Amino acid sequence: MKAELPGSVWEELEPLLLRVQRPSRYLGGEWNAPDIEPGGTTVVLAYPDIYEIGISNLGLAILQEVVNDIEGASCERVYSPWVDMEKEMRDAGVPLFSLETHRPVSDFDIFGISIPHELTFTNILNLIDMAHLPLMAVDRKEGPLVVGGGCGTANPEPIADFFDIFVLGEGEEAIGSLVEVVSRGRSLGWTREKTLSEASALPGVYRPSDYVVEYAESGAIEAISPAAGAASKVRKNLVDLDRWLYPEHPIIPFCEAVHDRLNVEVFRGCTRGCRFCQAGMIYRPVRERSATSVVRMVENLSGRTGHEEVSLCSLSSTDYTMVEEVSGRVSQICKDRHMALSLPSLRMDGLSVELVSGLAGSRGGGLTFAPEAGTERLRGVINKQISETDMAEAVIGTVRAGRRRIKLYFMIGLPTETEKDVEEISRLVFRLRDMVRRKGLPPPALNISVSTFVPKPHTPFQWVTQEGPESIELKQRILKETVRGRGINLSWHDCHMSLVESLLARGDRRLAAVVKHVWENGGRFDSWSEHFEFSRWEKAYHETSTDPDFYLYRERAENEVFPWDHLDFGLDREFLFNEYRLATGGGLSADCRGGECLECGVCRNLEAELTLKGSWR
Amino acid sequence: MIVLEPLRLRVQLTKRGRMRYLSHAEYSRTLMLAARRAGLPLQYAGMNSQRMKVSLSPPLAIGVTSECEFVDYFLSDYVSPGEAAQVLGRSLPPGIEVVSCRLMGSGAKSVGKLIDTAEYTVTLPFQAGFEGDWGKAVQEFMRKDTVNFERVQPRRTRVVNLRPGVHRLEVVGTDPEGSVRIQMVLDDGTRGTVKPSEVVQVLAESVKAPAGYREGCRVNREGLYVRRGDRLVSPLELARRRPAV
Repeated sequence: MKAELPGSVWEELEPLLLRVQRPSRYLGGEWNAPDIEPGGTTVVLAYPDIYEIGISNLGLAILQEVVNDIEGASCERVYSPWVDMEKEMRDAGVPLFSLETHRPVSDFDIFGISIPHELTFTNILNLIDMAHLPLMAVDRKEGPLVVGGGCGTANPEPIADFFDIFVLGEGEEAIGSLVEVVSRGRSLGWTREKTLSEASALPGVYRPSDYVVEYAESGAIEAISPAAGAASKVRKNLVDLDRWLYPEHPIIPFCEAVHDRLNVEVFRGCTRGCRFCQAGMIYRPVRERSATSVVRMVENLSGRTGHEEVSLCSLSSTDYTMVEEVSGRVSQICKDRHMALSLPSLRMDGLSVELVSGLAGSRGGGLTFAPEAGTERLRGVINKQISETDMAEAVIGTVRAGRRRIKLYFMIGLPTETEKDVEEISRLVFRLRDMVRRKGLPPPALNISVSTFVPKPHTPFQWVTQEGPESIELKQRILKETVRGRGINLSWHDCHMSLVESLLARGDRRLAAVVKHVWENGGRFDSWSEHFEFSRWEKAYHETSTDPDFYLYRERAENEVFPWDHLDFGLDREFLFNEYRLATGGGLSADCRGGECLECGVCRNLEAELTLKGSWR
Repeated sequence: MIVLEPLRLRVQLTKRGRMRYLSHAEYSRTLMLAARRAGLPLQYAGMNSQRMKVSLSPPLAIGVTSECEFVDYFLSDYVSPGEAAQVLGRSLPPGIEVVSCRLMGSGAKSVGKLIDTAEYTVTLPFQAGFEGDWGKAVQEFMRKDTVNFERVQPRRTRVVNLRPGVHRLEVVGTDPEGSVRIQMVLDDGTRGTVKPSEVVQVLAESVKAPAGYREGCRVNREGLYVRRGDRLVSPLELARRRPAV
């Protein structure tokens, strides 16, 4: 065992370990965890949820290795301590510490926090506070730069006051540039302010304090004005996936993680054009990794990790143009090494099912599909182009391949949705089950998972009004009454959780007070139903004089200034609005991988291009 | 040519240092992934053929260190014990070290079905009381036929008699820092389990040790055995016998 580096809090930490659940969350020293040499520029990357979720995040795994491959820099990890550990740490006065060397986060040069979704905002505040740093960026005169990244940067405005800077888009190159600036600052003795202003000049770096938001009397935003020298818009970063073949040494947790498998990314972006999907908009354009790179990564990583499963991951892996060749070659590696191969985010059609049924170790287990809506009409509105014939083929194919469990994802509260559309969900489910029966096959166990639609920034539905709680609960009741039968199981989400998510998703900087209030009153792990308390949020609305309806139910004008308007993910506003208009009439839009450009603006604005390694079917 | 029957690799390991904070599930997962990384010729079970076959010695509580843990890996092919020790050792995290490796025939009982006895050393912090008091408590414990203990488990609480599962119990001295050391040989495995913490709790009540003695109490498993009459036999010694042909 390596000795602890100077500054380690291990001695104060160790007595706490036997008082908490699963002490291995706080140990570090997992297989492939990096050896950290003292000195140099130090980075600690945080994920604002527990270890088991955070360790499964591919983005942080990539960035950690990228930094550790830089001469003179090192990168460690930290996750949200579980509630029991938080109590012990606060009682004992132990600050938030890094996993690798157990040094206080406040001793690092860069404190990077991933922002996965809105319901982690309170955990983010908790991380900053447990690190013994002032919460508000303006109050921090020393200590690490607090940097946000990840998909939450699509609209980080409600937590903008707590961050020094955000890095928009893909971070592989950006984190290197940031480390370089900080290293230069260290050697030249720059002030924190000087380092920050140098860093904010880097591509894709957004410093909230460089932008002044003015509000009209109505409460809407009048203008977002850049300070002198700041760009009018901050544009997201993109990388060439075949030049960044990370991770090379994935860390293997002692415990079972939520994604307990080897993840190899096959492409980024998705242009299916589902109008509700933020990922499908902000990660454009599609850039595929070459078949050779993918296969080589699987070969190298399977021996280094010992994993029992490989997942070729992306936003929709059966859309990978090289999927047949790659899955054939990877299946062979898997057979030799006794691993299973999976393709998550499956498209719901017969071909996709046929493909996954031939994968190594693929017998048994269930498959998950996302029809999203119960009627063809509503699927047209959201541009989810799957016909009922496709669905039937997928379901029959799944059962025929010997899989008995099928999970179907639906959403309620979609624009133009009526109670009729919701009633159709159960009819669709029963029709699919009957079609399986008619083929003389045993009916599958169907898990129907229904979530509530939340309009997200940078999507065609960013103008849409959030569905209210009464209507959501009515629709949930319809589902509870109709989606029932032998072998059919229904699950749904607490609609208040979705309402908080929705409020924050399109929120502005004024909501910082709400998030802070909720956190001060004990708000933690808001995405965990056992920890989420809607009353805490209601109290915060009340005590900060915030009108949630303003954010949730207000009609937004076509030309309204959105809180995220200065954050450029490449999409033209005209494209998004046109898609929104098309949606209401149920007009479909094609996938640009088919050859027809829809002028979303991403390739032009980001000087990027669609990169396919094979031909699009 | 000699046809080899399927083999097992019996490995003695340590669980020291920070590895004592791993739960049994985490520890066994670590052993399985390490064997995969080491490239041992493992036997896989089940229709998916990703689950390897292993047998583990009785679980340790979180926080307890050990000089003597066992695992049986079911092999699909021959590997020399020396080579196995080397590749496996390179694939394990520091703290879990390979002490010894032996091959056995497939007819032999696996460690999980074999081990019934464990030896522990418990080191109590000096605040826990005097060596003499603990010595008296130990004598008293061993003189009794029945030592009732309320065993609290997640699903049920019941009173059990610890005494028949305690085969040896003695105070073996004090550390330079003044800590009292107690050695014990307890049932652990196929014939039932008495935990060292349970025995210590009974003793602590009888010496009226101050609350909080548990904080500094260190437990180390020194050995795991199979009881043959009065003799304690190591599962590795059993491996020496030639497999039946």
